[in-house]
Amino acid sequence: MSEVVLKMHNIIKDFPGVRALNNVNFEARSGELLALMGENGAGKSTLMKVLSGVWPYPTYEGDIYIKGDRKRFANTKEAEDAGIAIIYQELNLIPGLTVAENIFLDRQFVDRFGKIDWQRTYSEAQKLLDDLGITDFKPTDMVQNITVGKQQMVEIAKALSINAEILVLDEPTSALTDKEVKDLFRIIRKLKNDNVCMCYISHKMEEIEQIADRVVVLRDGQTIGDVTPIGDITLDQIIVRMVGRDIKDMFPKKQMERGAASLEVKNLSVSNPDVPGTYKVKNASFTAYKGEILGISGLMGAGRTELVEGIFGAYPQQSTGEVLLNGVKLDIKSPKDAIDSGIALLTEDRKALGLFLNESISFNTTISSLETVSSKILGIINESKERQIVGEYVRQLGVKTPSIDTLIGTLSGGNQQKVVLGKWLNSKPEVFILDEPTRGIDIGAKVEIYKLLNYLVDQGVTVIMISSELPEILGMCDRILVLCDGVIVSDFERNKAKKETIMAYATGSAKGRAK
Amino acid sequence: MTDESNSASLTQPGASLGGGGSTGKENHILSFIKDNATLIALFALVIAFSFADDAFFTARNLSNLSRQVTIIGIIAVGMTMVILIAGIDLSVGSVVGLSAVVCTLLLQAGLSVWVAIPLTLLIVGGGIGLWNGYWVAKFNIPPFIITLGMLTIARGLALTLSGGSAIPVTDSVFPIFGGAYIPPMASGVVLGVFVILSVFSVFRQVQQNRQYGIAVNKRELITNALVLIGGFALAFYVFTGYRGIPMPVAIFAFIAFAGVYILNNTRFGRRLYALGGNEDAARLSGINVFKTKMTVYTTISVLAALSGILLASRLNGASPNLGIMFELDAIAAVVIGGTSLAGGSGRVGGTVIGALLIGVLNNGMSLLGVVTFYQLIIKGLIIILAVWFDVIQKRK
Repeated sequence: MSEVVLKMHNIIKDFPGVRALNNVNFEARSGELLALMGENGAGKSTLMKVLSGVWPYPTYEGDIYIKGDRKRFANTKEAEDAGIAIIYQELNLIPGLTVAENIFLDRQFVDRFGKIDWQRTYSEAQKLLDDLGITDFKPTDMVQNITVGKQQMVEIAKALSINAEILVLDEPTSALTDKEVKDLFRIIRKLKNDNVCMCYISHKMEEIEQIADRVVVLRDGQTIGDVTPIGDITLDQIIVRMVGRDIKDMFPKKQMERGAASLEVKNLSVSNPDVPGTYKVKNASFTAYKGEILGISGLMGAGRTELVEGIFGAYPQQSTGEVLLNGVKLDIKSPKDAIDSGIALLTEDRKALGLFLNESISFNTTISSLETVSSKILGIINESKERQIVGEYVRQLGVKTPSIDTLIGTLSGGNQQKVVLGKWLNSKPEVFILDEPTRGIDIGAKVEIYKLLNYLVDQGVTVIMISSELPEILGMCDRILVLCDGVIVSDFERNKAKKETIMAYATGSAKGRAK
Repeated sequence: MTDESNSASLTQPGASLGGGGSTGKENHILSFIKDNATLIALFALVIAFSFADDAFFTARNLSNLSRQVTIIGIIAVGMTMVILIAGIDLSVGSVVGLSAVVCTLLLQAGLSVWVAIPLTLLIVGGGIGLWNGYWVAKFNIPPFIITLGMLTIARGLALTLSGGSAIPVTDSVFPIFGGAYIPPMASGVVLGVFVILSVFSVFRQVQQNRQYGIAVNKRELITNALVLIGGFALAFYVFTGYRGIPMPVAIFAFIAFAGVYILNNTRFGRRLYALGGNEDAARLSGINVFKTKMTVYTTISVLAALSGILLASRLNGASPNLGIMFELDAIAAVVIGGTSLAGGSGRVGGTVIGALLIGVLNNGMSLLGVVTFYQLIIKGLIIILAVWFDVIQKRK
């Protein structure tokens, strides 16, 4: 049996008014991948910050043992020196520097005059890449010119360059394409052979099955159950540990009669401003009907977001084509035009494009439909009307918050998403487009959102949902469009769609447009 | 008069939009100081200067002080909006000079004040504002650059039009706007009306909060009441004690109130906070970013032009060099008042306090005979201190 390199014992971490971690206990061994699972807000990030010295001793209680020695890190440098490297979801690379420079940032090889020894920097970097079996980029490549997946490899190489024995990966696949995920897993397997201990934070069950050796679940700041070998536990059992209850019906799909054509898109193209002459979306045509949920599937970068944002008027200069609603041609030149025509778009990137983090729930709910709570001409806001409307949405959508004046930045992902939903519902859309509506939110909130989609369809709203998660697309959508390289390559009815066929079209290995 | 504008802003419903809320059970005094640091600093300065020089705390001096504050104050109200949307306008000082020159030239040409003033506001204020706004909003060029360019262009225009020399005014009505006073009796009545309105608005706010189930923060309420009472008492003392409310102060008070109201209670105000907080999200939420930016840049230019006219009116003439460095004082007032240069958070109430603070400093130091060179150094240090305090407070 391999050696226990990391042991967290009775870790407790308090924030004012909240106990974020409450007796966390687990150990991880060399050469294994320990999956650390838990819903948003379960305390995973806080735990990693304790481990990496972001929260130094004694701001937490309990003990951390590295190879049997009790460690009390005063800062991140000490944790690094103890062999701990963390690769965060948001990568910490400098885009304007080369791969090699990023790997050896602040630890460059210099001669005695302080001049950087480039020869050595590049050759050492190349050695690290060779070790990892990476051949598709070079140490001299600019970081900004390589894909996110490759950037992640750079982070891993950087971690290895400081001889990390404990590597923490925080949702590493959230921005990767399938191929990149395969490459990452190949490297992870290699690192296991090299006896690196890895802690892997993820929501994605399929991944855990593939590469984890053991799994530990965190819920409400506590470890639930023991560290369990992956062979001894089912995915359902993991979910029960994560959620604390059985989710009986993950996809509560309600079948409905297809109604009239609602949104028609004809030959929509969105050009790529970075590479003139190329397109992010090319000649996309489809129709969405009342009474159905239309799913849009495809790999990261296939042009899904650009397609719906193009419809929404986010790129007036770059897009061509026609959009019709109920048979009437729309002239959409800005998101405002789209909203005025009755289209709503819940954006994929909630923090960057959907929320005003420093503002209240109330502010965020009414911002795209201020007309509903203010006088017509002068635009004077009727506070009591606003409070009443917002309060109603908060209640209906089940947003967990002490008050509607609470800053939205302090809510969990699921609750934030519910507020964004409320914001768009208040604009009374006829067509509601949701781009990855369940990304980064916990299972309970996901199911609530699915139920809301059912309700909306029932109310006659045309719903279009983009998702990277195939089970979700297959579970909730009546019809599924698949995009590959900016082109709609197929169009499935729900009962005819299979995971494998969708993937085949999404990856471009199956051609043509199935009907 | 200026004192009510800040006290009233503290009691506005949306005061929590940008200000730091109370932190509950932690040290009450400490959090009180944190929440009201600028106000306390202002209070301390007034007391210090009052002890240091007998001439400071007199109705006459404070009346003059309030009038001195108005020119920068009016611009600072507009600057609060610009900085709120994460912009900046460096051209306001030059706009002051240009509008003073244009207005006096129009009067010299024989136009009546009732034509000359609106025309100046329209041509200088509106024209330059639309120009600045168009470049910023249409082409996304950093406002720093566009307005820096306008800083020299407008100054150059002022010098060209005036031929580089001062322009006297002979019109008999024109000096009223910047120099006249509302008689003490009338001033007393006006202040009285404001006292009643303020009490009513505080009362209504408390009632509304009860109705919405928001806990009424007693500490905040008492603070506001004290500031309100103190402010009005001071205003009565100053304005009924010395010739009444100066016209420009009345105009400034009106603009400040309007600014507070617009930011807190209108769609337009909401959009400014949204735009400054997250421009991409604002656009995707259906906010017309172009129109909003154009409006903001036009508003500040018109306010700067108004300041120029009031200044020319007070001086009974214009010089092309009027308003040099005013942009820095206006920005300082906004920043001292707690508005974030990063956009998305700030209040006009804070800006008014900031403008008063700068005004008190200038006035007090001049009375004490502090050499102008030192005054500049001290002012600079205060600005740095204020921002530093703001930054460490936000980091917590």
